[in-house]
Amino acid sequence: MSQRQRKLFACFTVLCMAVAFAPTAGAMHIMEGYLSPPLCIAWGAVCLPFLALGLRSIRRKTGGQSQNLLLLALCGAFVFVISSLKIPSVTGSCSHMTGTGLSAILFGPAVTSVLGLIVLIFQAILLAHGGLTTLGANCFSMAIAGPLAAYGLYRGLRAVKVDRKACVFLAAFLGDLFTYCVTSVQLAAAYPAAEGGAAASLVKFLGVFAPTQLPLAVVEGILTVVIVIGLETYASRELKDIGYLGGNEV
Amino acid sequence: MERQNHHRGHRHDGAVLSIDYCAYASAIRGWNPYYKTAFSAACLILCVACDSPAVSLAVILTMGGISVGLGRLPLRRYLSLLSVPLLFILLSGAAIALGVSLQPAGQYSVHLGFFYLYLTQGGLTQALGLMLKALGAVSAMYMLTLSTPASEVIQVLRSLRVPRTLLELMNLIYRYIFILMDTQCRMKHAASARLGYCDYRTALATFGRTASNLLVVSLKKGSTYYQALASRCYSGELRFPAGEKPVRPVQVLLAVGFLMFLILLWRITG
Repeated sequence: MSQRQRKLFACFTVLCMAVAFAPTAGAMHIMEGYLSPPLCIAWGAVCLPFLALGLRSIRRKTGGQSQNLLLLALCGAFVFVISSLKIPSVTGSCSHMTGTGLSAILFGPAVTSVLGLIVLIFQAILLAHGGLTTLGANCFSMAIAGPLAAYGLYRGLRAVKVDRKACVFLAAFLGDLFTYCVTSVQLAAAYPAAEGGAAASLVKFLGVFAPTQLPLAVVEGILTVVIVIGLETYASRELKDIGYLGGNEV
Repeated sequence: MERQNHHRGHRHDGAVLSIDYCAYASAIRGWNPYYKTAFSAACLILCVACDSPAVSLAVILTMGGISVGLGRLPLRRYLSLLSVPLLFILLSGAAIALGVSLQPAGQYSVHLGFFYLYLTQGGLTQALGLMLKALGAVSAMYMLTLSTPASEVIQVLRSLRVPRTLLELMNLIYRYIFILMDTQCRMKHAASARLGYCDYRTALATFGRTASNLLVVSLKKGSTYYQALASRCYSGELRFPAGEKPVRPVQVLLAVGFLMFLILLWRITG
């Protein structure tokens, strides 16, 4: 390797690092075309039972009343809007929340899986985040695994009497991190390294996306807490209607 | 200006929903949505399944040609839309091309502390091929989304027997996205006029409060929306009039010809 090649390679590495430090949540949607057809189908198939459960839960909750369906649609639109807004970021570049942790805490994981699927479809169609062939994989990481982790954590921590705000922060923060880990696993499974296989590849994907995703997860946690505090202050009645708070007094 | 935008589609918060705006403004909006969906899906699947740079390149050029040339989308806007997935493509390309080891390996390697970051010819070729494939797939999807409004995509999904509850939610959510965006935009202006975004800490607090207020306001408006729909006899299903958009035989011939060409290209180069 000549001196010049060495310099070029160093420049390339620095460029990659620089790009990596500009946080963009859109970066964690697996892009269109990244997965081979068998993987696309496999991830889609993994999602199906969860979505079926979600749809059943929605049908049961709405009880055939179109007014309740409309409320759910408002919640779905809210999740989409939250995830498409540019959030204030340190570097001034554009980044987005995922909003799925919030959705899981407020509406429960079953409903979130279906709302998340719709939000992902609209993100692909209207914002070009993610894609239609990778919908199954993205749906699993963002609409199923992340929300389930966030909801489980929230419930678990509440059960051992941790402060509600701390619960919300940890659930949103760790749910976001979990989504990022699942996405990295999906990418690593699709592109195992020549040496070391999928495990080595997983380390690389985790490392490359960590600088963007770690700060973002913290910001997501903080914002989710602010949003939940606001909601508890001004809309406890509406929150009870959609099932949050589980009847506890605030 | 605002009114002019309204009757051709929605465009409220700058670039956020410009794809929707482009779809309404596209010159090929009159093409049959089933035809466009089938064609773009076929190209997408071929591009992903063939995994050949030649096919990817052919798809990128043809789809770009259709979107820009036939759809009359400004080239600048098309390119800026194509750059949306760029960060993901660059980062994951780097993760695939680069390797980490304790000994120097590959064609090029850099010593970083206690380990080596190396690059092999094979990894580089794979990453470049993957970037082309991703761009091809994205441009095939863009051909559909930049010329077909979401309600027509939902109409296509309906004939694919997607569950009714899901479609109904999609229709409603699609409409509410714009209402909420509008509300959020006004809240944001009001907050920034009161120095709500003056520093990072305040900006975070303002953003969170705006978001929670958005949900409160929209839940409170929910019953009003329901009454508006109910007074128009809404009973759980929205049906939109879909104008007759016949497929011309030439279009089918061209599409089939192009798909055959892609398969041929794959056979020859692969």
